[in-house]
Amino acid sequence: MTEQKARILIVDDEELIVQAMRKYFSGLGYAVDAAFELEEAQALLGHYKYDLVIADLRLTGIGGVEGLQIVADVHQKCASTRVILLSAYGTPEIERESYQRGADAFLHKPKAMMEIAHVAVNLLDTR
Amino acid sequence: MEHSALDHLLAPGGITPMYQPIYEVSDGAPALYGFECLSRGPRGTNFESPDVLFDYVRLKRQEIVIDRACIAAALRNLPHLDDGVRISINVHASTLGRDPSFTEFLANTCRDTRVAPSHVTVEIVEHAPPWDNDAFQRALASLRQLGASIALDDVGLGQSNFKMLLDASPEFLKLDRYFVDGCTNDPKRRAVISSIEELARRFGARVIAEGVETEEDLATVRAIGVSLVQGFLFSKPMTAVELTVH
Repeated sequence: MTEQKARILIVDDEELIVQAMRKYFSGLGYAVDAAFELEEAQALLGHYKYDLVIADLRLTGIGGVEGLQIVADVHQKCASTRVILLSAYGTPEIERESYQRGADAFLHKPKAMMEIAHVAVNLLDTR
Repeated sequence: MEHSALDHLLAPGGITPMYQPIYEVSDGAPALYGFECLSRGPRGTNFESPDVLFDYVRLKRQEIVIDRACIAAALRNLPHLDDGVRISINVHASTLGRDPSFTEFLANTCRDTRVAPSHVTVEIVEHAPPWDNDAFQRALASLRQLGASIALDDVGLGQSNFKMLLDASPEFLKLDRYFVDGCTNDPKRRAVISSIEELARRFGARVIAEGVETEEDLATVRAIGVSLVQGFLFSKPMTAVELTVH
């Protein structure tokens, strides 16, 4: 039986980051979708099942914590989907809340792509 | 950097209209009855999927502007059709409840595109009440005064329920593919279709079965009394160019 490729959703409002992550994870053999806005991510989550979601905490520019909403949405839709939150502004309180809501990892930017991929692959392997 | 897909959707060419034929199959060969206008977002984006496109629009609460953009694109790209061929356009119930000038917009768009309003069916789609029911009723009355007919989409699913049937009193009930697909071998699906057909008859309305993909399911819905059908058995949704050739 052919093993199904894991499906990853990347959510970030920075187009260059999305492009880089899409290229990197596609190169590792994963099926990759991307969304630039909270509502776009929510619409995708409503129709497709993802194995992993990698989301930026802040999607609106100033002060947003949309990533927390994505964590909540993911776990409402599918408990087995893993979530990695990325943030350049994450306070200890936000990080704690992220884990309380069900995030599987909280990574502080900047972070090398290889490090993100290492966490992602580990999470996918332990589903 | 903020990136809003809404701007791209509302830019010229952001919405691609598609047209799916509806056929009358009451007797003899199927006869073209009308077209349902559908919409797709830009190719290669998430919004090429209509499910994702309209969920996004609803989450952004931008139904009014996108409904208008889809209707304008559909009617402006529509090739000349033979007299009597009906055109169905999709509109959110929330748009009808919140956009007091929707009928005026539709009248102007019909005038500009030389589409007779009496050939237009407004298909009401809804996923998230509440809306202002008084305003909704006023919108329906003004659409009927314009000459348009009303259809209720996705009957039996989500918010398209009995209350909506009473509120909208539609001329057409759209039977979702969920009930049609595989109905030949499923007595429960056939029971649902029969009950909706009976309901339509009592309302003085007609049922349009969506998602007819096999001869067997076509024969089944016909035997139940449904004579308006659309689906891949007849045609996939087509672009305006394909429609011209068709």
